[in-house]
Parts: sequence; structure tokens; C-alpha cells
Amino acid sequence: MSISRAWLPLALMTTLIVALGAYAAMRQDAFLTTYNLGNLLLSTMPLALVAIGQTNALLVGGFDVSVAALMTMCVVVASFTLQPDKSWDVLLVGALAVVGVGLATGVFNATLIRVLKLPSIIATLGTLSILEGAALLLRDHPEGFINPNAIEALNAGVSFVPYAFIGVVVLAVLADIWLYRTRTGLALRAVGLDDSSSRRLGMATGRTVFLAFVICSLMAAVAGFYSAAQVQIGSPIIGNYALESIAAAVLGGASLAGGKGSFVGTLLAALFLTEISNVLPLFQQPTEYAQMTIGVLILLALVLYQAPELLARLRTSWGGVGRLRTRQGEAAG
Amino acid sequence: MSIPGPERPVVLALGGVSKAFGAVQALRDVSFDCRAGEVHALVGENGSGKSTLLGIASGFLAPDGGAVEIGGHRRRRGSPAEARRFGLGIAYQAYSHVLDLSVGENLYLAVPQEEQPRFGRMEEWASARLEEFKLELPVSARVRALSLVQRQLLEVVKALLAKPKVLLLDEPTTALGPKEVEQLHELVLQRSRAGVGIVYVSHRLPEVLGIADRVTVLRDGVGQGTFDAAGMSEESLVALMIGRPLQHAFPERNGGARPSDVLLAVSGLRGERFGPIDLVVKKGEILGLAGAEGNGQVQFLRALAGVERPTGTASCNGKELDNKSPLAALRAGVVLLSGDRTGESLFPVLSVRANTTVQVLRRLAPWGFLRRGRERRTVTEMVRRLRIRMASVEQPVQSLSGGNQQKVSLTRPFLRGDVRVILAEEPTQGVDVGARFDIYEALRAKADEGVAIIVKSSDPLELAGLCDRVVVMSRGTIVDEIQGADLGERRIVEAIVGGRVMQGTA
Repeated sequence: MSISRAWLPLALMTTLIVALGAYAAMRQDAFLTTYNLGNLLLSTMPLALVAIGQTNALLVGGFDVSVAALMTMCVVVASFTLQPDKSWDVLLVGALAVVGVGLATGVFNATLIRVLKLPSIIATLGTLSILEGAALLLRDHPEGFINPNAIEALNAGVSFVPYAFIGVVVLAVLADIWLYRTRTGLALRAVGLDDSSSRRLGMATGRTVFLAFVICSLMAAVAGFYSAAQVQIGSPIIGNYALESIAAAVLGGASLAGGKGSFVGTLLAALFLTEISNVLPLFQQPTEYAQMTIGVLILLALVLYQAPELLARLRTSWGGVGRLRTRQGEAAG
Repeated sequence: MSIPGPERPVVLALGGVSKAFGAVQALRDVSFDCRAGEVHALVGENGSGKSTLLGIASGFLAPDGGAVEIGGHRRRRGSPAEARRFGLGIAYQAYSHVLDLSVGENLYLAVPQEEQPRFGRMEEWASARLEEFKLELPVSARVRALSLVQRQLLEVVKALLAKPKVLLLDEPTTALGPKEVEQLHELVLQRSRAGVGIVYVSHRLPEVLGIADRVTVLRDGVGQGTFDAAGMSEESLVALMIGRPLQHAFPERNGGARPSDVLLAVSGLRGERFGPIDLVVKKGEILGLAGAEGNGQVQFLRALAGVERPTGTASCNGKELDNKSPLAALRAGVVLLSGDRTGESLFPVLSVRANTTVQVLRRLAPWGFLRRGRERRTVTEMVRRLRIRMASVEQPVQSLSGGNQQKVSLTRPFLRGDVRVILAEEPTQGVDVGARFDIYEALRAKADEGVAIIVKSSDPLELAGLCDRVVVMSRGTIVDEIQGADLGERRIVEAIVGGRVMQGTA
């Protein structure tokens, strides 16, 4: 991949964020207020965190569709372990319990995928069902408030920018530097691009894939905290984060075939997707449009990112039936 | 080259190794050793167990029984990483490149962590390594952009980077021309003089005899013995590999016994990279298509089969040949055996049975329902006739050796009753010696039934032995025709080289 192509998703997402923001700011005074911007950044947090986790799974060539159910489970667990009127030490233990749920789910998923060799989409579909059922078992209707001090701490910030958002920006930048500028980052991409070559080169491919799925679940658990801070109650119904997290990762440049992606790109895409749902109500438009817009955008982005390959393919199929492949390498097998 | 004595340490030892894949016993109690400073060749037909043996030595496969020792260390957990740590380097036949990473990144990943430079210095370091091995490649280019020759040489350099005590080379010259083979052998010999033990696996026996100190022969997963290369000839090696002498390598021509009716007539046929071509092939004739690679032979064959669009006319059996699409050509009785077997001819994951009967299902399925019994009888008969070796007819074709895959694609013209012309593109590429004869025999049998056959091959010996007549192509046109007493390997090579000279001076 040439340099310009690797940067394309980042440039596109930045442009779209600024363009949509500028349009909204011109038409609606309510958009460019510190209240609304702070709100936008805070509501970006759950998607940003879970999508960064999802990017790990995509980098090793897998999917994790259980993340939304895991976030729900974490919110529900938090409604038991982070109850109001509890001291900070109790809250700390309660928070660890939520992280523990994420870790256990991650190890469970990774074991299914790496040890039992199930396709990741099927394995995590199973986990999704189990977690959804368990969450409903614990809270069949929204109930149990989350500790307000904990919510306040999660939402704290400087001016209108939450500390958490600054943290996630730093995390994404560091993660990208790791991915493209270090040995282990290169190893992760190699495993995602070509598992069997990587194994031949003596890399620990099993461990890499295992860790990627554990990290994915851990990030979803952390995202669960910010979901809890938003809904503030033990609700067994949390948004459609499984597909949105994959959408954000793909818009940010991740390839479904593995080995390609950018954490910063994912973060920008998460911000953009949240911006859409933030802006539409200002124009009194129903949020259904947001969902449709997201779908169209994903398709457009995929076409744009793969434009060179698509053009090459079209050209050959116009040129005649099954033209002899010019790259003999693929034919030699 | 002196044969290293017992004072040289053994750098790789396999003792009584066995391995089965399902019902197929790939290796049975095989012992093999390689000493420091020697080139030890491993030869055998496809499917004789060479790749399995290398897989076990390199830690990629776990043996069912037996012991592996590398550089004095006994195999414990058995992983490629462990084998590399013990001092084993391997250049895989199918390569170990990550195609979407750069040359530099691939080199970087090929050395153990302790020897990797800082990430920021990778390109600089990679250039230095390439220079050390006299390989001129752009460090920042993606491996996908490299030619096959470059990929093959890069694979060998990767195996050498970790300074192995024993180097395994699996078919390292398949993509290489004579010049590069020499370059590679020089590199290999230089390493072996430096004390590295080399295990050299190759199909090309002249190459093996040219470079090896010792040779071990495998047949059907059983060791046939280890010999000093100096005392062996190609004939004696082949005899050990296939268990029958070499002189029967081609079926008899029944020359002159056939009627001389013209079956396929081509006039003024042009297409991308070839033409105009005028050519006549008679009933029962096997015509060879020779030439240096890339002179339009492949395109010409594919145009006849309707895969590419030509202009000009071709007629088959007196009627104009409809070659507007592969299906139309097939209906007219023209069958193409593609050189890309698993890509174009076969359904790799489907069974031998399904691949065999796919074109004649209508006949086996009256009223639309497949008669399993009828199908099984048909397939079993073809398996017997073409001597296809496999565990079961339900085995996926991709798990067969190259020769047996080719035989499966050959069953189709046998089963179709309406075949008039067979176009065979490299019919024995990647096919072992024993299976080659079966394929030649099958082609000859079809010719004797009155089918016209065109064989495109890059092996002049094969063309000389199999064909009744050979035409030589250069720059897309026919420049020479060889038949009768003239037809010999030397004459074909001369014609090809002559064509090349013309090309150079034009």
C-alpha cells in the first residue's frame, strides 16, 4: 500500500467531520456551543473505545460481534457493583468486577477461535447470545442506578473536553505508532495478512490472535463504563455497537481480510458517526436517517478505498472473457 | 567436492520418522541425516514424502513417531520457532513471504528477535543484507510486485539470514532460469564450504547430481537408501524413484498407421500477442508447440479454446470452429487442459468423483437425479484406466499430487464422447516421473482414437519424445516445423534459440 492510500481514510474522515461540523454550525447556533460539543465528545466515547477494540480483531482477520452484548452485560453488572452511596474502595472493587467480565469473555472468545478453531463470527455470535440472555436474567427491565460520583468522575474534563476523550486520542495515536513503527506491530500485521507465512517464519501466530480478541473484549468492557455513564441505570438494552464498531473500523481504513487498519482512523470514524447522530436532531430530522446515512457511507468508503483494485478488475472483465492472468505467481500453485 | 567424513558433526538427524495423513501413510520409518558442510539431496516423485519430511524437520508438522535432532538439540515442543532457534533455516517451495509487506519488512521478520535491528533502521539494514547476498531488489517494494524469480531468490536469502547450521531448500529452482540457477548454486556451495549442512530437494536430477555430495531417495514414503552422488546417474536415480527403468518414458508412436485427414485447420488466426498463424493438425496426430516462454503459445491455445478472442478463422472437422466462448468451443469438441490446474481446470475442494463427472452429469442423471451407482462405476473405471493414486474417490482434489490432479482433469476428455481436439498446456508441469508416463500414454491413447492433440510444453525432451511433429513459435508466429527423423531434443532447442536470436536482432 502506498503512503497516500494508507492516509486516505484518515483524510476522508477528517474532511467529513469538519464539513459536517461547519454546515451544522452555519445553520444551527446550538451546534457550536461548549455544551453540545462536550456532549458530542462524551457520547463518542463508547463507540470510540469499542471500535478501537474491534480494530484489533479485524487486524488479525476476525470479527467480534459479541461486543455490544458484552457492553450491555457490563452496564448490567455495573448496576449491581457500582451502586449509589458506596465508598470509593467498594466502587474500585466493583469496577474491577466489570473489567473481569470483559477479561473472562475475551479469554472465552479467544479460546473458541484459536484453540477450538471456530470461525470468529460464529464463535462470537454464540457468546453474543449467551451474554444477552445473562443480561436479561440479571435485569429484565431497566433498574438499579449507577453511582453518580462514578459517573461524574468518568465525565470529568477540562473546559468542554472530557479527560477520557483526551485519553482515547493519546491511546489511538500511541497504538498507531506501535502498529506501524515497531517490531510487534509489524508482526501483528503480518499475522493478519498471511497467517501461514507468518507461522512458517516462526512467529507466535496463535498468541497474537488470542491477545487481539482478549484486548477487543477488554476495550468493550471499558466502553461499557461510558455506556453506563450515559444511561445511568442497569438497562439490558444498549445500542447496536457490534455493527457500528465494525463500521467505524472499516471507515477508518481497516480491511475485512485482515492486516490493514488504523486506530486513529477508527477513532475519527467513531467521532464522525456520532457527529451524524448529534447533528440530525438539531435539524429536527429523525435518527432513522442517521442509520441509513451510515450504511451508504460505509459502501461508498469501501468503494473509494479499493478504487484501484476495482478499476483493474473492471478493465480486465471488459477486455474479454477470463483474460489470462498476467501475474503468473498466483497460477503456479 | 570431497565427501565429508564421520568427523563432521551431524547438523540434522531424523530417526525412524513416520507420519500419516488420514488413511495415507506419507512417511514410514524414514531416517535421514545431514552433516556440516555437505550438500545432501533428497529426491523422489511428487507424493513420495519429501515435503512431509521437510515439514517435520522444520517443526511445521508433528511426526507420529521417531526423533528429530537439529544441531545436537532434540526436538521438544516442535514448532518452526524452535527449529529456527536450534539452527535450522528453510526456503519453502510455496515461499513464506507476506505479499503485502515490503521486501525489507519480510527480511526483518525472517530473523530471530535478538538479531533484528531497531525498527527505524530496518531499510538500511535490509539493503545491507541484500547486498551481502548480491541480490538487487528494491527494499521498499511490496513482495507482491516482485517477479517469481525474485521471490524465489528472496526466499533463499531469508532462510540464510538467521545464519543456520542446516539449510533446507525445497525445490529452490522451479522459477529460475539457467543463469539464476548458477547464481543460486554458487551461493549454496559457498555456504556449504563455510560449514553449513544443506538439504537440497529438487525435481531436476541433472541439477541434483551437479551439486550434491550425497543423495537419499524416497519412494511412497519409504527410504530407498542414501548414496554418494558421484556414483549415481540420472537413470539409476529414476530407477530408484519409480522402480522401473527410464527407457520406457514415452509411449510408442504408431507412425504412419493413421489416416491423414485434416481435423483442425487454422488460417490467419490473430490475437493478442500472436498471429497470423496458419496451421493444420491431422486426425490422430500429436502436435508439439515449442518456443521460449511468452512468445504467444499460451494465448494461441487459449484463443482456440474460446478463452480469448481471436480474429481469423479456424475450422474443425470441415466446419467453422465456434470459439466465441469456452462453452461453444467445448460443444464443438475442443477441450483445453489448462496449465493452471487448480485455478482453472479443477474444483480443488471437491472430490475426485465430482471433478471427474462434472461435464457428463446429464448422462449420469436421467430425470435429473444422479444415479450414484452409475457414477461410481464410471469414476472407478477412469481411476483404474488412468492409474490415479489416491486414498478414496471422495478425497478433495487439492490433496492429490500434481500428477494425480492432472490425471483427474484428463478423465474429462475420456468421458466425453464428442472430443475432437485436446489442447494441453504444460501437461506434465509439477508432475513426477512415474505419473508423466501415464499422462503421455493417456494422450497417445486419445490420439489413436482419432483425436487431434496440441501439446504446449517448455520441455524439449518431452516434445521430442511424445509428439509426431513440433512447431516452434517466436514473437507470436510459427518460425519452424520439425518432424520425422529430425525430431529431437537438440534440434528443438536449436530452433528455440534461433528464434530468440531473431527476436533480439529485430
